[in-house]
Amino acid sequence: MNKVLQPSMALIALVAGIATTAVAQSNSASITATAVVQQPINVVGAANLAFGNVFPGVNATVPLTGAGAGRFDVTGQASAPVNLAFTALPTDLVLLSNNLPVSFTAGYNGTNSAAGATSFAPGGGAATSLSGTGALFVFLGGTVTPAVNQVAGTYTGTVTLQVTY
Amino acid sequence: MWSRTGSALAGVDSGLCRRALPWAAGRFTLCLSLLGILCVPLAAQRPLTAQGVRSLVFGVVFPGLPKSILRTDALNSGQIDVSGVKFSPVQLQFALPAVMTGPAGATLPLSFGANDGGWSPPQQIGSQIGFDPRGAFVATLDQNGKVSVYLGGTANPLPSQRAGSYTGTVTLTVTYLP
Repeated sequence: MNKVLQPSMALIALVAGIATTAVAQSNSASITATAVVQQPINVVGAANLAFGNVFPGVNATVPLTGAGAGRFDVTGQASAPVNLAFTALPTDLVLLSNNLPVSFTAGYNGTNSAAGATSFAPGGGAATSLSGTGALFVFLGGTVTPAVNQVAGTYTGTVTLQVTY
Repeated sequence: MWSRTGSALAGVDSGLCRRALPWAAGRFTLCLSLLGILCVPLAAQRPLTAQGVRSLVFGVVFPGLPKSILRTDALNSGQIDVSGVKFSPVQLQFALPAVMTGPAGATLPLSFGANDGGWSPPQQIGSQIGFDPRGAFVATLDQNGKVSVYLGGTANPLPSQRAGSYTGTVTLTVTYLP
């Protein structure tokens, strides 16, 4: 009767089988980054505010609906909210060292019609939205108050409108 | 006899030994029952997984105006959830796009800062530990084997940026550490 102790080769094989059973040590996942770019804003001075001939001591007014009213044409992203601000709004029209006092009125509309414009105080600005086609029209009227001894000549001034999203 | 000691399992082992070792046939052999604890690789207990939960959403942006999203923004920050063996350290590595792509192939530049990455136990966006997503970072899975990873960033549209929708892909790779 031989008693032989032999190492179990089956045990070794089983351990080797376990060692080769591997699971992924890393993994990955992805997400997206997204953005929507709006149309840029464009502002054009479309019509000057023209008081025409005025006389010393006689005020002259141009309403928003007047033939001499000024107008800014704005384009941008359809229906986007915007802020309107006059960054240059003179108190006088100037001829050399001569001043002609001036005040302004303003209004905006989504269509090119001053008749339906919403009025606002030029000095305070306004918040509104571009139309469904991305348009906005800003109208400018005003009143000049020439002195009785106002020097004759052509008086000018600059009005600047800033529009921001 | 040795071969007959123990349980029936020992008998099975003896048969296995004889099949594996033909020279053992007819001999008294000792086949040890395979008892005890198997040493299983740690990763085999539970695989490491990552799943995208929320996109990084910049929303409406305007030409020339950069827009940033904070990693703590619960609605717009990116989020990826990681699951694995509890308390395990894992390496987090983002692949971040330099641009988003939009209409007619237009590209919108993106940037990521040193504090735009963050991780926390799940559902705790307000308790993040910040990290620089531009490099690798080590986090520890919680007692449930989970963490959430968050991402902020900045979109930098050009003044001449073409209007339209833009997208990019962010990938997070997670790796068990030894």
